[in-house]
Amino acid sequence: MGGRASSILLAIANLLIPAAVLIFATGFFPYKPFLPGLAKFQELEYGDPPEAPFDKVIFMVVDALRSDFVYSRDSGFKFTQSLISSGAAVPFTAHATSPTITMPRVKAITTGSIPSFLDVILNFAESDTTSTLAHQDTWLAQLKAKENGKLIMYGDDTWLKLFPDTFSRADGTSSFFVSDFTEVDNNVTRHVPEELLASDWNAMIMHYLGLDHIGHKAGPHSSNMLPKQIEMDGIVKDIYDAIENEAHLESTLFVLCGDHGMNDGGNHGGSAPGETSPALVFMSPKLRTITNGTECPTTPTRDFDYYTKIEQSDIAPTLAGLLGFPVPLNNLGVFIPEFLSFWSSGADQVQLLLRNAMQIQTIVKATFPNSDFSRSSQRSSHCESPLSSGDELACKWRTALEILEIAGQDLDPKVCLPPLVEFCKSAQDTMSSTASNYDLSRLALGSAVSFVSVILSLAALRPQVSQITSTGVFFALILVLYGLMMFASSYVEEEQHFWYWTASAWFFYLFLFESRKAWFGNFALHPALMLLALLRVTRRWNQTGQKHAGAPDIVHSAFLNTPLVLWTLIGATYLDITFRLARHIAQSLSESKDNEAENGVPDIARIGGALTVLPLGAMAFLFKLSFTAKDAPELVAGMTGTILGWVEGLSLVGIARLVFWGIGTSMVWLVVSHWRRKRGRKGEQGVESTQEDLDLAIGLFDLLSLFLVTQTRAQNIPLYLIFRAQLFFLTHLNLPPIQITISSLLLSHTSFFALGNSNAISSIDLSNAYNGVAGYNVLAVGLLVFMGNWAGPIYWASVGTLLLGLYEEELSKEKSAKQDPIKIKPWVAAERAQLKMQADADLKTPQDPSSIFTLLTGLSESEQVPSYFFSHIAWLTLFTSFSLLAVMAACTALRTHLFIWTVFSPKYLYAMAWGVAFHLGISIGWGSVMWWASPY
Amino acid sequence: MSSTTTVTKPPKARPTASTVDILNNDTARIYTHIHPILVLSLYVFRFKPIVADPVPTLLNTLILLGILQVAYVSVCLPATGTASTPSVVKPGARKKPGPSKLESNVQGRIIPAFLSLLLSTMVGTPLIGIMLILFGAPLTTHFPHTFLCAAHISLLASIPLIYVHGVDGERWREIVALLLPIDEVFGAALGTFMGAWLGAVPIPLDWDREWQKWPVTIVTGAYIGFAVGKLAGGLLFKGRKISFN
Repeated sequence: MGGRASSILLAIANLLIPAAVLIFATGFFPYKPFLPGLAKFQELEYGDPPEAPFDKVIFMVVDALRSDFVYSRDSGFKFTQSLISSGAAVPFTAHATSPTITMPRVKAITTGSIPSFLDVILNFAESDTTSTLAHQDTWLAQLKAKENGKLIMYGDDTWLKLFPDTFSRADGTSSFFVSDFTEVDNNVTRHVPEELLASDWNAMIMHYLGLDHIGHKAGPHSSNMLPKQIEMDGIVKDIYDAIENEAHLESTLFVLCGDHGMNDGGNHGGSAPGETSPALVFMSPKLRTITNGTECPTTPTRDFDYYTKIEQSDIAPTLAGLLGFPVPLNNLGVFIPEFLSFWSSGADQVQLLLRNAMQIQTIVKATFPNSDFSRSSQRSSHCESPLSSGDELACKWRTALEILEIAGQDLDPKVCLPPLVEFCKSAQDTMSSTASNYDLSRLALGSAVSFVSVILSLAALRPQVSQITSTGVFFALILVLYGLMMFASSYVEEEQHFWYWTASAWFFYLFLFESRKAWFGNFALHPALMLLALLRVTRRWNQTGQKHAGAPDIVHSAFLNTPLVLWTLIGATYLDITFRLARHIAQSLSESKDNEAENGVPDIARIGGALTVLPLGAMAFLFKLSFTAKDAPELVAGMTGTILGWVEGLSLVGIARLVFWGIGTSMVWLVVSHWRRKRGRKGEQGVESTQEDLDLAIGLFDLLSLFLVTQTRAQNIPLYLIFRAQLFFLTHLNLPPIQITISSLLLSHTSFFALGNSNAISSIDLSNAYNGVAGYNVLAVGLLVFMGNWAGPIYWASVGTLLLGLYEEELSKEKSAKQDPIKIKPWVAAERAQLKMQADADLKTPQDPSSIFTLLTGLSESEQVPSYFFSHIAWLTLFTSFSLLAVMAACTALRTHLFIWTVFSPKYLYAMAWGVAFHLGISIGWGSVMWWASPY
Repeated sequence: MSSTTTVTKPPKARPTASTVDILNNDTARIYTHIHPILVLSLYVFRFKPIVADPVPTLLNTLILLGILQVAYVSVCLPATGTASTPSVVKPGARKKPGPSKLESNVQGRIIPAFLSLLLSTMVGTPLIGIMLILFGAPLTTHFPHTFLCAAHISLLASIPLIYVHGVDGERWREIVALLLPIDEVFGAALGTFMGAWLGAVPIPLDWDREWQKWPVTIVTGAYIGFAVGKLAGGLLFKGRKISFN
């Protein structure tokens, strides 16, 4: 097969990757269409809608307010607890569905619908228009549509993004620095007293972020937690007192709730009991009329289940009933029956629930168009399981209607309510269970497309695949085991162990492989064993995964106690990179002819290089220091106040931009000067231009490292020193191309997990997402998030290309050594030639006799011989498409698995990022740039 | 797996090591098959206590394993001094009775066997311990666990190797580089290491069983690998060389 055919196959294989990802995603995360417009009260034979007990609402969200923070004995919410005991407040645990992150939860609370998993992605691309609720029916829209409707909002700016142009007065706070426990909340609280005196609004929304920040930073048992709860309780008291005392707040409903909870590590996103159990308290003096109070504090029935457990989506219809507006169109919540006793007339109670049920029935009917919801059809005696879920709901709806019909105008709540509640609850269950939403044909098509991609990349690799070598077997084992692993939830959660395990074996294999060729004098210091030892350090850097989350690791047990050591190592990392950059700049400054001599860079160029690069390195370091002082103050503890004081005054956005700008200009400068030198040399020496080097590629790589370090959290920066050492030992191993590919693949994955990532949504690190970004720029933020989380893989993908370039360089040196045999010892040359032959035996069909000749003469015929980079990409494409296929197959086969939304779907999102952003963007896109920068 | 083509510079100036054959007597031939059964039975018998209380149980099981291994090598295998010459000689020709049977047994077998045990404990265990840590064993905690795990692997893999190959540096380089032809001793050692490595597989599963704790699965893998490797090395792959191509 010629090189061209292989190239076409490989190109198609790669084009199919994004296609497969998209097709599968549309089937797996179906975009739920919503009904546009605002709901209106329907005309019912039972008369006008019942009068509402409240006309204003104060909606106070405390981010990550887990149920036990309010209801347990250790809670700081003493005033709230006293209200619950006295009957002025009604407590619930509001079940939040996964993904338990703020934006989908706010959507659920306000629309009453159950947001799809797609909202997780949109949560990160926040200004996406499809994610705003401006055109959806929410209780905010309903309240605003009321006469004199006026909404105000203070707190998390997620609300401002979700509801553009909705609030008359607003002050958004963003959770820019998680280390900020006080300022974010004070920015909300300072507005409260004056707004409580104003009477022009009918809904005030507050969203406090401080408690969530404490959780993220130090977990639920942090010493800051109780003071924060007491602070929140104080605000509850102020508001409640105002409701009791101010005349214009007399009919105000006060709701305190969490949008989600947190797990024992203080994180959220998944569906652990702690994460899905936020508190929900309705407060008003009027509530004393319907309840005598509940015991508080109390103990949960199970995990975090305090009091009655309701769904978070139930908040929307309940507010609708209590404030007297129609239930939002897309709502799937059910009016909380406890509050029905506000209406003394049974007819009113039934009517309220009937309106709720009718609204839900509209959605159910649209979802199951084939089921018969009409009143006229036969009522079946029981509506149980043999029916399809649509028919079952239709049956329950008909039952409810029939009972209402029999009752006529005399609506007895005891008879009429149960079937209505029954219908609503089952509709809620059915509609929120996602199993019915998969588009199986798309899932199959997506998997099939990635299967085709696997086959095509295999075809592109055919000459190499047909030869069985131990390295090839190792690669095949990685593929097969990784594919199998995707079907086991624990292995997906603990994926890092697979890569650590495989990479350890791989380095040991390299040790054996090299030992068989020649015994290394001091075998304990063998480069492969040093790689193994360094890997062992990186794998303990960050404890990741689910099973041992929070177990001691280097970052937490070493650096948190000794920030000085950390900063020394960080400083060393920056110095190392800066010195390397200085050399590149110096080389680029020197004239081309000087470069011919060994170390021929003149002093003046060296000084020039150092002078240009030092400010860049210093600035990058300063940025990291001042950023960390704000983002993770515990890591700069012990530094002198003067430095910190000075550093804190710096504009982060400005410095970050300067750093990025400096890196960009340096890249351009290196490329331009390299091009100039190349041209100059050609002019001087005519044909003789073989003695080129990898300067440009290495220069670009070092600039990239500086960028990646900027996108890495401070505690992980010393890892780059280790990476550099690993790179050093890798170059000493003199690996053949296929082994370079495998090493780069393995190190990409191990470094990903070593930097603290995992396959859980909650481990996505957003701290470096806004470096140098002032406003909202989806593209820039998305790119920075990707670069920050995939920094390790990007580093190692670049190393892969660099090593391939080095390998070629060695070969060309050999070639010149033939003309000048003194330069290289003959046995070294002989061994290299041997190695080269073996490597190229992999590359070519064995029956091609000219190929060995081509190699020995060193004349590469690009038409016939695929370049090393081509094979590198082909192997990586094979891995990427195969792993995508495995993830897709696992998600399809296990779509009814309990963990589908917590383990497998997040894995799919990660697989998307690995396949599209990493493989296409970095391995191929950036890799091509690096390969182009290498002289061959 | 054909004969090697990878080796660019085959070790020269010495005869290439040939496979180790079992001593040519009925006891040896029978006991070599009973031995893995005994070793596995020992482990199966001690498995529950090992899971319940790893450190003391692994320690006293280690003593029993040492006895079994010493018995195995002295009954079945040619000791290093005798092995190097008779390995060239055909097995059937080895019928030279020594000065006194008991004396030669003590000198020729028991002492080398105990020396192997000693070396395996003193040298093999720390080296394997370091390898375990490099492969991810806990460093700051579970030290006795890791150490005992290394000792078990060492006794399983290295006593027979030391007994038949001695302490010749060149020979050990060949062993480490996997250049020796496969036989039941080498196969058992390879199997032990592969088994120990594969033993890490079930640890991350969320079954929360006691036996998933460090280092039970590793030791289990090593024992199973020993038996499998010994059988495969002695019967299936005997005489073959490991090829990396």
